[in-house]
Amino acid sequence: MTQRQEAIVVAAEIAAGHDGEAELVVRVRHENGVVSSVVLDGETGFRLMGGPGGGGIEALVGQPWRRLLAETVLEGS
Amino acid sequence: MYDILIKNGLVVDGSGAPGYLADVALKDGRIAGVGPDLAGEARRVIDAKGRVVAPGFIDPHTHFDVQLLWDGAAKPALEHGITSVVPGNCSLSLAPLRARDRATVVGMFQQIEEMPPEAFTQAFDWTWEDFAGYRAALEKNLAINVAPLVGHSVIRLWVMGAAAGQRAAQPEEISAMGDLLRECLEAGAVGLSTSFVDVDENGRPVPSRHATSEELDGLCAVLGEFGRMLQIVPEFYDVDITIARIDQLAELSLKHGIPTTLSPVFDSLATPDNAPRALARVAEQAARGARVWPQMQTRPIDISFSLLRPSLFFGRFPRWVRVLRLPLAERLAALTDPETVAKLVADTGPDGGDRYMGDLVVRGGDRAPAGIVGRTLGEIARERGEAPALALIKLSLEHGLDVAFLAANRGHDATDRIGPMLANPLVHIGASDGGAHLASFATYGDTGYLFSEYVRKSGALSLEAAVRKITADTAEIWGLKERGRLREGWAGDVVVFDPDTIARGEEHPVFDMPGDGMRYVRDAIGIDTVVVNGQVAWTAGAYTDAAAGAICALT
Repeated sequence: MTQRQEAIVVAAEIAAGHDGEAELVVRVRHENGVVSSVVLDGETGFRLMGGPGGGGIEALVGQPWRRLLAETVLEGS
Repeated sequence: MYDILIKNGLVVDGSGAPGYLADVALKDGRIAGVGPDLAGEARRVIDAKGRVVAPGFIDPHTHFDVQLLWDGAAKPALEHGITSVVPGNCSLSLAPLRARDRATVVGMFQQIEEMPPEAFTQAFDWTWEDFAGYRAALEKNLAINVAPLVGHSVIRLWVMGAAAGQRAAQPEEISAMGDLLRECLEAGAVGLSTSFVDVDENGRPVPSRHATSEELDGLCAVLGEFGRMLQIVPEFYDVDITIARIDQLAELSLKHGIPTTLSPVFDSLATPDNAPRALARVAEQAARGARVWPQMQTRPIDISFSLLRPSLFFGRFPRWVRVLRLPLAERLAALTDPETVAKLVADTGPDGGDRYMGDLVVRGGDRAPAGIVGRTLGEIARERGEAPALALIKLSLEHGLDVAFLAANRGHDATDRIGPMLANPLVHIGASDGGAHLASFATYGDTGYLFSEYVRKSGALSLEAAVRKITADTAEIWGLKERGRLREGWAGDVVVFDPDTIARGEEHPVFDMPGDGMRYVRDAIGIDTVVVNGQVAWTAGAYTDAAAGAICALT
């Protein structure tokens, strides 16, 4: 599988959650070309941003989604 | 002789028909007449010239279960024109509940409602276990009408004990739950609530989340015997799952002949396809005859935070993220280090964060001094001669980081998108969460906002359509007997308001919960008088001693 065929983060932004907390909305382009949104709560979002991107939301763009999850969210769960 | 005669008002009767000038008479708790120049004496005459006279508003999604035990008006809901509320949403109610399980349920309520412990230990006596007993406790001092749901989680707890939060139910347990639900419905419950999302105070799924589809089907069969409502909290953060839940509700509705509702459904420009996709699926299911009502709130969603806890509000600034994630002692050290602070401020841009943070509002209810509460960070920063980002840090440090900031209107705030959704006949206006999230944001005034934003400002709904949405439509959806319209013989629930000014006030903190607990509230604007079951409950800016509220009779 080439890098191009991996699920990739194509956008990320901060949004308001139902409970008044800031949330992270990540848009992922999957292997089949479908783009979907994933809404993450504050803590999960922070863990995601602590990964390979190294900081803010803009650094998430272009990251392989599965590797990002494995190295941050899933590893810490 | 009438008890009350409301004269010369623009009667908007809840039907959606154009308003007309008429009088409304009330006697013995009911509407005794509606028409021009009604003849007859009255003990009390209210001049409503220039005002709208409408049925009392109905709030279908609240968590007033606890508050109603010491505050029968569900303040400040009533002063906003709300005359009936539905508590017991999201799988949680205070009955049926065995004494052994009270602490468990209190933990769940504290997680959702953010009430202080004193609310459960000092403000009322636990005199009941079964639903009829809770109803009797409520009825002692109601100023507002109540149509209580039964929580699926507490039904599970009653039947399964601690196992309710651990596993699926056995067939005999499902049968016992059905019997218990039937008993609650016979005692006046308006339906069953369940949740696929909520957690308790320890972050564990609430008991309803352990239910199988067979269990939910079995309970819906009992709802079907009475034609009562199923309310759910779907996985609203994922629209594909939400759509699957809409399909599930549709099947349950068609199979058992019941109405169903899901809440919340809200719009976000970050995920602009989500709400339209969910509503499109609702329309498809409605075309099949299914009754699936998505509840959409009117108010925008705000983000609030303090530097006591990391918030993703700062997610676009990597250095802020790193500093705010530090343990408290290290965070404080970083925020007092001049070099670090200079970098943090620089990261927010050449304007010192004015564009991103300047419109933040200091909320109050914490250690922020009164002089800055309600003011914008930009204004305070200019006064202090500091960049907004620097002022945010310094203000926080000066008060132990316990200063809450509000970023208003950061979600569900695109009026031009939301207006047509609210006007959609398939959308149920609700999801206020009244009585919940006390220390996070105010859940009051959504009805005022409906009129100020979506009737007066955008014109997405006519005055009559807006009134209908939160009166007759709601009563019909929930089966509230003879409520929601100004019709002779129906319940005397009336609100008199100024159509030119009705709105919600600014959010502000009050310390009126048991134990001096804090909550955020909004005052009503433009509401003159609220009548509940024929008695004036609120007028001229004050509550009366009336306690005419009742458990709603059902169709």
